Amino acid sequence: MPRVFTSSVIPAPAAKVWERIRDFNGLPRWHPRIRESRIENGEPSDKVGCIRDFNLQNGDRIREKLLGLSDYDMFCTYAILESPMALTDYVATLRLTPITDGDATFAEWTAEFECEPEHADDLVNGIGTNVFQGGFDALKRHFGR
Amino acid sequence: MVRIVKSTIIAAPVEAVWEVLRDFNGHDQWHPAVADSQIERGWTSDRLGCVRRFHLADGSELREQLLTLSDIDMAFSYCLLDTPIPLLNYVAHVRLVPVTDGDMTFWHWQCRFDTPAGREEELAKTVGEEIYDGGFRAVRAFMGLSPTSAGAQ
Repeated sequence: MPRVFTSSVIPAPAAKVWERIRDFNGLPRWHPRIRESRIENGEPSDKVGCIRDFNLQNGDRIREKLLGLSDYDMFCTYAILESPMALTDYVATLRLTPITDGDATFAEWTAEFECEPEHADDLVNGIGTNVFQGGFDALKRHFGR
Repeated sequence: MVRIVKSTIIAAPVEAVWEVLRDFNGHDQWHPAVADSQIERGWTSDRLGCVRRFHLADGSELREQLLTLSDIDMAFSYCLLDTPIPLLNYVAHVRLVPVTDGDMTFWHWQCRFDTPAGREEELAKTVGEEIYDGGFRAVRAFMGLSPTSAGAQ
């Protein structure tokens, strides 16, 4: 099972970073690749089980379901229901941990999925670089580094 | 019960930091609080259940037992068996995680312990600042790195 792991240091306290990313419907506000997003059936975006339906800047449409959300441990786990990518069984977690020495944030974004073996490298690199590191770069810029 | 959680960023690849930390008997090489250390019964320091017997600079003797060691998770945990300091039921966990953005290391060190009422603050400070924060600084120095956290703002 291919696995993506991307991690970074965000120069802000974890509570501040969490405030920016915890909204499951909030990707367009902080991730540059996401254009618009809505939660299906008018549900609140912190209701575990809710589904976000969003579009990338290139027009691709993705639907994802919220599987787990913790304000205490500061993580969010979700699965892809529909996407143009040639993969299945995609589950990802975005997690924040305080760095006490410097009052910054350690951010980790992991994903696992199934795909045809010949697509694995491209998918792992594309997701890790464009989606995960792209998101971290945006957070680093926002919080001033 | 007192809980301490400390973490830092070391500006070195995680494999290099793990090489320093995984030796349960190696802390006398880098931690300024530890004068000397040895593993009891001639065991190797990566054998689960091994006990390190060590002395602090003031001569006090402590014994700690290795409870978990994982090269795949780059983590270990240990407990205090004997100590002249009133740290009771002390269990600590160390884990390293790669920072892929910059090829650095996130080091997380946490513990819990009981102590007589009224001494919580003093011992939390000793463990959190002298042992853990001091350990972060010491490993940076041992590895020839800049003394401040690479995650500092």
